[in-house]
Amino acid sequence: MAAAGKAVAYGHGESGGGRGGFLGARVPAEVEAMARAVRELDKETFRRLLKVTVNALEGKDCKESVKLIAESTNLSEEQLAFLISGMYTLLREALRLPLSTFKQEVFKEDLKELRIPEDFITDFSSIVFGNRRPVSEGTALTRRSRLPGVQDFKWRVDVAISTSSLARALQPSILMLLKLSDGTAHRFEVPVAKFQELRYNVALILKEMNDLEKRSILKIQD
Amino acid sequence: MIQAESSFSKEEEEKLQVAFSLEKQDLHLVLETISFILEQAVYHNLKPAALQQQLQSIHLDQDKAEAFASAWAAAGQDTIEKFRQRVLTPQKLETIGWQLNLQMSESMQAKLKSPQAVLELGVSNEDSKNLKKVFAEFSHQELFEFYNKLETIQAQLDSLT
Repeated sequence: MAAAGKAVAYGHGESGGGRGGFLGARVPAEVEAMARAVRELDKETFRRLLKVTVNALEGKDCKESVKLIAESTNLSEEQLAFLISGMYTLLREALRLPLSTFKQEVFKEDLKELRIPEDFITDFSSIVFGNRRPVSEGTALTRRSRLPGVQDFKWRVDVAISTSSLARALQPSILMLLKLSDGTAHRFEVPVAKFQELRYNVALILKEMNDLEKRSILKIQD
Repeated sequence: MIQAESSFSKEEEEKLQVAFSLEKQDLHLVLETISFILEQAVYHNLKPAALQQQLQSIHLDQDKAEAFASAWAAAGQDTIEKFRQRVLTPQKLETIGWQLNLQMSESMQAKLKSPQAVLELGVSNEDSKNLKKVFAEFSHQELFEFYNKLETIQAQLDSLT
């Protein structure tokens, strides 16, 4: 997407001064196109488009609503594309930034620089800073790019009393069933010695996580 | 040593035949008998002395019984232990690897600073030679919960002894 051309090297300066707004030094093309086109819109159409965008951010399907808007207004398909993708990018980038450091005034200033009408700025602002925000954030968290996590962990400890090779075995063994969030399930046996190794390693990682979280680099507010 | 496949290759068997001047069937009989005796020693967890006594009571020559006893004294315990460790499940955990990352940001969220662990479990399958790698990601909280479950398992193991 054009967002990739945002050149991460410039960073996100929330200072808002000049062209260094929250969108970066190079505003994405669709956002600029949207900013121009949005001036021609009446409030109602704008609000409908905004609603569609917010639904998209929350992960809902919007094909129907977009079709309705296309039919009831005289906007071309191309114009609709610019408007919706521009609004989407603008809101998504704003929602990425944590509320602790990104302030409403700065956001409004940046939008003023793009020459978006005052009313519309207020509407945008209420989505990013209003009480609708947790929903968009929640969706962002579930759509994160990550490796599968453990969804379900079942286990059993058996003691083999007797086998075909040994009349008296009395050997404990552990059977694990790991269900991952990507739907795969893995069932395997864990020899007791390996289990100790697993337990030791997990404890080690936890200790290192604790140490990491205590370090001052994490306390730096940005 | 005691396996489903034969212990010696074809060439080795031929060499043994020559060395002991035995016919093919006789050699097989000797090898199978030795296997059987040792399997029984494993099954009943015999001590070397007991083994020797048992063999002598079925009229095996003393020197041969002694040979069995000394071989068993040397390798018996290890062999029994190997059988103890054998499992019937095809998949077994072989390797454990991990990585601790500090995620700074991602496409949906900036300025994260969230620690994440990735656990890599190498699971072997009896059929294939390759190790299947299972990757799982854990947040601090998730790893803590996983650890608590491992501690529960450990408590169960402890109650067995």
